[in-house]
Amino acid sequence: MGKRTKMLRVARYRPERAPTPYFDEYEVPYADDTVVLDALNHIKDDIDGSLSFRWSCRMGVCGSCGMMVNGEPRLTCAAFLREFPARSAIVVEPLQYFPVIRDLVVDMSDFLDKLKEVKPWMIRAEEKAVEAGEYLQTPEEIDVYTQFSGCINCMLCYSACPVVGQDPEFLGPAAIALAHRYNLDSRDEGRAERREVLGQETGVWDCTFVGACTEVCPKDVDPAAAIQRSKVEAATHGLQALVWPFGRRA
Amino acid sequence: MSVTQGGRSPVYVRPMPRTWWLRTRRYRRFAIRELTSVAVTASSVILLALLFALSRGRDAYEGFLGWLDSSGAVVLSAIILAGVLYHTITWLRLTAHIQVVRLGRRVLPRHLVLAGLLTLWVAVSAIVAYLHIWL
Amino acid sequence: MAALLLPVHVAILGIALAAGWLPSDALSYERALDLVRHPITKVYLGVLVALPLYHAAHRLRFVIHHQLGLHGGRRLVAAACYGTALAGTALTVVALVRI
Repeated sequence: MGKRTKMLRVARYRPERAPTPYFDEYEVPYADDTVVLDALNHIKDDIDGSLSFRWSCRMGVCGSCGMMVNGEPRLTCAAFLREFPARSAIVVEPLQYFPVIRDLVVDMSDFLDKLKEVKPWMIRAEEKAVEAGEYLQTPEEIDVYTQFSGCINCMLCYSACPVVGQDPEFLGPAAIALAHRYNLDSRDEGRAERREVLGQETGVWDCTFVGACTEVCPKDVDPAAAIQRSKVEAATHGLQALVWPFGRRA
Repeated sequence: MSVTQGGRSPVYVRPMPRTWWLRTRRYRRFAIRELTSVAVTASSVILLALLFALSRGRDAYEGFLGWLDSSGAVVLSAIILAGVLYHTITWLRLTAHIQVVRLGRRVLPRHLVLAGLLTLWVAVSAIVAYLHIWL
Repeated sequence: MAALLLPVHVAILGIALAAGWLPSDALSYERALDLVRHPITKVYLGVLVALPLYHAAHRLRFVIHHQLGLHGGRRLVAAACYGTALAGTALTVVALVRI
């Protein structure tokens, strides 16, 4: 047919067949608008139905299709085959620093636990009754946290972070960024509750500001900034508590 | 290695290589950034050596200045200076990245914060140089 | 912080001196004593020399743990790093007091 093709070198892990991962190579046709996810679906549909991987919206908003593409954490629905050099195979592997369940599917339960730890929801001392009306916010108050609310939980930042790789207990970029998002929300009153989780050694203090998380984030959340600002907050609060231990400020 | 979880299919945990920091360009840049801390320590040590020489009297001090004049010292200083400069500039960029500067209702854009920090740095350096050399 | 001030000092002592860009008596013994004996200079130098040692100690600790992958003996590494910084600070104070 004369269509352009590229080689994909895809990581496989099928514990019922072999105890360790291996690679399979596939030749896939592509056009200018073909993304890695399209290639994987082509492989599954027409070449090798046994390949397993996660995906959903295929437009960069659900966060399901994160994988390592040539060693970089990418959303495969946003990685175009035309980006990559013509001759070499494109290497597709499961997200780094997570255990592999099968082929390109990773175990994300650790991440979900860490997310729950930071209580990424509105915490209020007293909920307003519905009849009392909405919680009002000015545009400026919304601007303060909007950026950090863009997180789609795709976990690319965890795969970029060498501290996550070294210390599996580290809370990680997305969890801290989301905690920060709620701390900044004027409607939220849960700062004190999140403080202990953030302030532990495996919380914000494990971060050495490599900055890779921010660089790979597909939604410009800038988790690195969130973490460093959380550090400043944690340190300032610690100092205040030292100087004025009567706990007047929240 | 495979880890069996409650009778389900074993998950595979990939070991993190010890040379992880050499594997991507981004990680290598980070490693260089951290290594420049060594240059910073070295410059501290040179200043400390100068102060010690000064405290031990004229001969020790002038001897130290003589060493600073040697080509070996200059090469070393150039390397240390490069490291310290890289350290300072990356540090300023990171600070501009995370420090939110508010003017009333507006937030100052990052490149302006960085410009401000760089200007501050040059100004402070100029003042120190003046005091060091001419006062 | 000290990161702002160190470059100019290294430039002056390490490069400008050897290059002959400084006025001839700028770093003379008498003038140096004069400058350093001033209490403000002593505080400035104390901070300038000592502070980077802690910052570097902190970074070095992380380099050892994360980049060299040595995870054992966390307390020992921390003690060695910050201890060295403390020693450096002590030496600085000694030198400054004797001037």
